[in-house]
This record gives sequence, structure tokens and C-alpha cells, in this order.
Amino acid sequence: MRIKIIRIIIFILFAAIVVNLFYVQIIQGPYFFRISKNNRIRVVALEGLRGRIKDRHGRILADNKVSYNVMITPQDILDKDKLFSFLSEILEMEVEKLVRTYNQKKFTPFTPVAVVEDIQWSQAVNIEENKYRFPSVFIQKGFKRIYPLEDNSAHVLGYTGKINRSQKRRLKEYGFSYQSIIGKTGVEEYYDSYLKGDQGGIQIEVNSRGEQVRLLSLKEPKKGQDITLTIDSEINETAQALLRGKKGAIIMMDITTGEVLAMASSPAYDPNIFVNREKRRKSAYIFKNPNSPFLNRAITGLFPPGSVFKVPVAICGLDSKAIKPQTSFDCKGYYELAGIRFGCTHVHGSQNLAESLIHSCNVYYYHLGKMLGSEKISQYAHLLGLGKQTHIDLPFESTGRVPSQKEGLLSANRRWYTGDTLNLSIGQGDVLTTPIQLVKMMATVVSEGIEVQPHVIKEIGGITTQKFDFERQLMIDKSVFRIIKKALVATVTDYSGTAHVLDIDGLYIAGKTGTAQSSPDKEHHAWFVGYLITGQKKLAFCIFLEHGGSSQNACILGREFLLTLQKNKKI
Amino acid sequence: MRRDLNLKIWVYTIAIILIGLVALYSATTGNVRVSRGIFYDQLFCAAVGIFIMYVVGRIDYRKFFDGAYILYAINILLLILVLVSGRDALGARRWLTIGGISFQPSELTKLSLVLFLGRYFATQRSVLTFGFMNKTQLILRDLFFPLFLTGISMFLIFKQPDLGTALLMFGIFFGMLFASGLEYRYIIGFSLACLSVVPFAWNILKDYQKDRLLVFLNPNIDPLGAGYTIIQSKTAVGSGQFWGKGWLSGTQNQLNFLPERHTDFIFSVIGEEWGLIGTMVLVYCYFSLIRYCLLVSEQVKDKFGMLVCIGIVSILTLQVIINIGMVIGLFPIVGLTLPLVSYGRSSFLIFIIMMGFLLNLSKRRTIF
Repeated sequence: MRIKIIRIIIFILFAAIVVNLFYVQIIQGPYFFRISKNNRIRVVALEGLRGRIKDRHGRILADNKVSYNVMITPQDILDKDKLFSFLSEILEMEVEKLVRTYNQKKFTPFTPVAVVEDIQWSQAVNIEENKYRFPSVFIQKGFKRIYPLEDNSAHVLGYTGKINRSQKRRLKEYGFSYQSIIGKTGVEEYYDSYLKGDQGGIQIEVNSRGEQVRLLSLKEPKKGQDITLTIDSEINETAQALLRGKKGAIIMMDITTGEVLAMASSPAYDPNIFVNREKRRKSAYIFKNPNSPFLNRAITGLFPPGSVFKVPVAICGLDSKAIKPQTSFDCKGYYELAGIRFGCTHVHGSQNLAESLIHSCNVYYYHLGKMLGSEKISQYAHLLGLGKQTHIDLPFESTGRVPSQKEGLLSANRRWYTGDTLNLSIGQGDVLTTPIQLVKMMATVVSEGIEVQPHVIKEIGGITTQKFDFERQLMIDKSVFRIIKKALVATVTDYSGTAHVLDIDGLYIAGKTGTAQSSPDKEHHAWFVGYLITGQKKLAFCIFLEHGGSSQNACILGREFLLTLQKNKKI
Repeated sequence: MRRDLNLKIWVYTIAIILIGLVALYSATTGNVRVSRGIFYDQLFCAAVGIFIMYVVGRIDYRKFFDGAYILYAINILLLILVLVSGRDALGARRWLTIGGISFQPSELTKLSLVLFLGRYFATQRSVLTFGFMNKTQLILRDLFFPLFLTGISMFLIFKQPDLGTALLMFGIFFGMLFASGLEYRYIIGFSLACLSVVPFAWNILKDYQKDRLLVFLNPNIDPLGAGYTIIQSKTAVGSGQFWGKGWLSGTQNQLNFLPERHTDFIFSVIGEEWGLIGTMVLVYCYFSLIRYCLLVSEQVKDKFGMLVCIGIVSILTLQVIINIGMVIGLFPIVGLTLPLVSYGRSSFLIFIIMMGFLLNLSKRRTIF
């Protein structure tokens, strides 16, 4: 009985298939036959416009410009030689080169090939006018990305390019095809899913001259969302201009919100080279450049922090009650450990905590470091955000490291000497941080233990993002930060302070210098990490010069930077 | 009569294989991306397959009964292994390579699930429970426990992701459940419950699977992707009209319009080159084969044999209907092959074994 039911169901299913086959092949048959005989269906992809990127004042940082591409439909070519000589004449390009690109990109007889991208308007008109002679050619309107500020915002913005094979495999399910444009680094990569437009396309029926007869189906491309950054492009430009010709980074961040106002890294590159056909050749030089312009030193570069690291060590000493603010150590210009002398910059004499920060006395921190031990120092450094990612919303952030005895044994299986602890206390040895970590640490110090999240995004599609609006209170006594801050102010205001250069009229500036040894045959790294308080704003900033020599150089650059901002009424 | 039925199964199976080979030869002609090697591969598979079919037809089929549970257990292990260490192809993990031979465990599941459910329903289901079991326990035993065990393989296949095959597993389960003789009210209740789950199931689908389903409803929303395939395959089949364009002269096929035309879309090649005549012959062959399969299931004396027959009928019917429906735009593109015609060793071999099994049953249907 049940088998009978099954038999009936199967019969009905097969009958339905037969009826449908009859319908498709006999009733609709002539229609489909005509379509297939003429082979006149063309598929044209329409790229969705990518969202624009603006700075906090609405200035455009990344935009789209109309471009014209020459397309050839292989099936419709009448005379290949004539066609290519015609094109080479108009476009002033060699025939062989055109043929080569054509052969490389040819896929199926009916998929149009983009032979030349981004031609001039006059050339496009010229080609369209000759379309009656060459039905296979047509001009497709496309868009290309432009970055009006060129290399002034390169590292934050990143750049765009054709999707590569591994990205394609990973992102296939999100609607990416081999022609898709994708953000390669910076904001363009991190917020690609918002910026990217949805690809659309049309299927059209064309006649023998390649003209559209009928639209078979259309999918409207969708525009991506505009993005507003927290970056102030004028501050960023000032920073970038000061760094020109040098290697280094400048960061400026709002202490209360974590908004990054400026992030400059030098040497920089012009993101337009990846878009522009003439400039694309230059990209090879940039990739080969030994100064690695693609490295965003502000978040990816790893450098020893030098004396800046004394700030977390001092916080550690005070908070763990190992020392009091008035605890003094005597500086004879060196510290002797098992017959080896660990040097200081000067003979400072008796130093208390504040003085040790003002003069950046190494001997004080040798004593303190030995008292605290490496475990405790690295614990506090980690607490203050050193040696771990800040999770800023940019790709390729480095982690860095703050070594300690235990970690050294575990990871490198290396013996830890007391000398290592001494080196650690002054930010040398294996300590590696990124500039953004130090800025974040300084911000935490200024707001007395309240940690914010550094970020560059302000609005997505006109809606303010609140993802990064949170704070975290560190479990460190507030009075500790007040003592440290007082010393950091004195570092600038005191005549003997290491950063006295930065004592600018009308500006409340404080901070800590750092001169970090790198390799023996190269100059030291120069640091100044500090903060600035004006009527409206509290800003943390960092001036870093890779192999920039003494920290004085960073301070002088910082002075120029702040003076320019003051003059332009930016602070 | 016995001989006669046996012979008919042979004839229709071989006819279908031959139609497939002819179409595959055409699909691999003058084509860069689908090479002629694929045709020879299938030819080799067909030769080996016919031998295997003969051998399977001679084995004592109680051996299948004995091995059913173990086979299913091994199969589930293989499915887990695929997810852990399988080979990616076309965005999904379906392939497993053991000893240099790669195959799709999800294809094997079709066979092992049929045998497993056949044995389960055949042995568990007895009307005499001597009052030891109440209604709930019976439902648990006859419906939910086998559903759960089927669900395991369905889930693993769904994870690959292979929605089509996962749903096919459910089809097999439902067909065999129906044939197992469970009371109608439970079957109807179960069907209603399944329908109510559909809206929730939508949410666990991957984006591209949703896209495919949406595109099926309206091919125009994605003319470049899945919608393109539907429009092109429909054009191919339709343009064949009554007599077809002739062997090796299908333009849609020859000009690279059709993706996957040697596997899932092979039917479009047949439709274009042989027209309505060709498609009707093929559909008739399938229909006859399924009809004889049902005939065997009616005559077979033991319940295991009957259930396995129904299982095979379910698979054949569903795959044929869904595959053809998919090519002419009646169903979403779910990636199910056309039995014995589409290129693919695993799929081909499994169907061959099923046909061998059918032979086996038809021979012995009077002995038991």
C-alpha cells in the first residue's frame, strides 16, 4: 500500500519534469534558440562605488574619480590587426603591448576584456566615434581611487588594489570576485567591509554591431559607506612635513576619548601610485627601498623605549611601596655590578624620584630596578599597556615585548642575569614597544589610571561609532600618578630638565625624553613622549626619530611641531 | 520473470551510462578547462563499474545486513576526518585522500545510510512489544532515535558545506520512514513539525547558500553569479528544441557559457544537443529503472531488502528530479549530481554499487 503511494508520488514528480522540459524546449524553445544562436548575451560588471574617507573636519582624504576603460569583446572582433593598430594610434601605445595584455586577460569569447584602463576623456570620445568600424570595442565608465593629500596621510589610510588569490579564497563568500578592489592596508583594509560597494551588473542582448538591444537583467551596484576619521589632516600634515627626510613617527591622541588626531610615519609613500597607471611603475622602487616606507612606524615599528620606560618603573616602585617620593639614591656617574660598570649620562649626585625623572638619571633606576626585580617591572609595564597590542583599529599592529626572568626562561630558555634587570629598568635590552603603546601609557598616566582605547574611526555612514567609547580604571593608586605627573611637568619647566627645550610660552607641556641604544654602529633612537593640556583639550603625543641621535633632536622637532600648531590655532 | 527483471535493470543502467558518456565526450570537446582526460576517466570508471555491479550482484546480501552498522559508524568517522583534514575544492571541504585515492565520504553516506536505516527499521520495528513499551517509547525508538543518528551525518555534511547532500539524507530518511510502516498520524505530525522548523533553518545557512536560494526565486538579482548559471543552462536546454542541435554542435556548451557542465550541469549538454528527444529518452530510462526498483521492493520477501530498495528509490528519484529541475530553473542550485551521468568517481561508484544491490535483491526475492 505504502509502496503504491510512493509510486504515485514518483509518477507525479516525473510527469512534472516532463511537462517542464516540454515547456522549456518546445514552447520557449524558439526564444532560447534565437538567444543562443546569436550568442548575443553580454555580461557587464558594474563596480559599486567605494565609500569616501574624510578627516574629522570633513576634508576628503580618499575619493573616487571617474575613469574610462577600453573594453574589447573577443567574439565581436572583425579584424584583429586593424583594431589594435587603431587603438595603438589613439592611445599612443605599442601594438605588442596591447596584444599582450589582451591575450593575458582573455577569458571567454563573450567576457569583455579591459585592455587599457584609465584613458583620457578625449581618447575615449575618439574611440566611441569610431565604434561603427570596430564593433568589438566599447568604453566602460569606471572609478578609480584618489588620495588628494598624497603621502600626507598614507599610513593611516592605506591603499586599495585588485584582490589577490589568497584574499579571494578567503572572502569569496562575501561576494568578492577576481575583479574586486580591496583595501590593502590602513583604514582601507580595516574598514573595507563598510567602504566596499556591492558589485552589480547587467546582462544585455546586443546586435551584430555590439549595440544594446535589450536589457535582460540588471543588478544595481550599491555605494559603500563614507567614513569619517578622528584624524585632523592639518595636524597630520604638519607632522608629516616635519618628518620629511627623516625616519620616525609622530602621534597625537586625545587623552579623554582615545581619538587619534595625527599619526604620521616617515618615510611615507603616495597611495595614488597603486591606482595610477603611469605611477604604478614607481611602486616597485618603494617596495625595494631600504628605509621601508610601507612600515607604519607608529603602530608596527618596534623600538626600545629607552628612558621613557623609567615612567612605568617609577610607577611600579611607588605603587608597590618599594620607595617613597623622597627616597634618594646617590649617582656617581655609574653603577657597579660584579665589576661591570653600568653608566649614567652625568654624575648627578643625590637624586630623589622627581629629580631622577627630570634628569633622567640611570643610576637611580639601576638601584630601583634591582630592588623591584624584573617580574614586578614587567607586570606593571604590561598593566600600563606596554608589550601588548593597543587594539587600535588599524591592521598589522605589533605586540612588542617586555621581558622578565620567568618569560625569558620560558620563551627563549635563556639565563637571566641581574644585568638584564638593570638594562630593563632603563628601557634597554630586549624591551620593545611601538610608539602608540607609549602614547597610550602616557594618556593613562595623565588621566590617573583611566585607560582609553586609541582609535581612528569617528563616523561610519554618518553615524558616530560608539564601539570605542569605554574606559578602564587601572588598579594603581591615583596619588602615584600625581607624583609622576608633577615630575613630568618639571622635566619640561625645570632649567635642568632634559626636555626644557619644549618649555613654550602659553602651552602646558610635560613629558619624558628617551635615548635608546640600537645597534652599536648606528645612531640612537630619539624619543619624546608627553602630553599637552589646553583649555579645551588634553592631548598625549609622541615624537620618535629612528636613529635620530640624542633625545634633544626629538625635543627640538617637538618644539617646532607644537609651535606650528600654536601658530595655526590648532591647540 | 526473474531473469527478465534482472536483465531490464542491466539494460537501463547501461543505457544511462552510455548516454552520460556520449554527453561527456561532447562536454570535453574543444575545451581548455575541461580536458578530454575526464572523458577517459569516466570511461574507465564505467568499465570497472560494470564489473563491480556484477560482483555486488553476486554477494550474499546478508553480509550487507551484518556490516550495516559498522559501515555507518566508519562513515561518520570519515565525515569527521574530512572536516578536520579534508582537501578544499571550490570553497568546500568534501574530499578525503587516503592512500593516494581521494574520494567524497558524503557520497558513501548515501549508501551507508540506506543500509543502516534499512537494518534499523527492519529489526527494531516489531508490533509485538508485549506491553513493555508505551507510546512515547515507541515513538522514541521508531522515529526520534533514527532521526538523531541520521542527523549526525546530515550535520557533518552540512558543515562541509554541502546543503544539497545534507537535505538528500533527510529525503532518504523520510522515504524509508514512510516505508517502514510508522503510523500515518506520526508521519503527518512529523512532517508538520519539519515544516515549522524551516524558517529557523534559514538563519543557519551560509550567505552564499542564502544567495543561491534567493537567486533561484529571482535569477535577475544576480546576473553575474548564480543567476548567470541558471539563465545560461536554461538557454542551453531550451535552445535544443525538439530535435536538438546535434552531437558536438551545442553552441552554449562549446563556447564556455556553462560552468560545471561536466558534473552538475551535464543535463544541459544533453538537452542542447539531443533536444526533447534526448531528454525524454534519458528521463524514461530513469523512470523505468526506478519503476523496476519499486517492483523489486514489492516482491522482496524480507523487510531489510524492501527498505533498502525504497532508500535507493528515494535517492535516485530525488537526485534526478532535483538535478534536472536545477538545470531548467525549477530548483535552486544545490550541487547534486545526475546519477550515473555526471562526472565524478565517488558518485558514479556509489550508484553502481546501488544498482548491483538492486540486482542482488531481484535475484533473491523469491528465495526468502
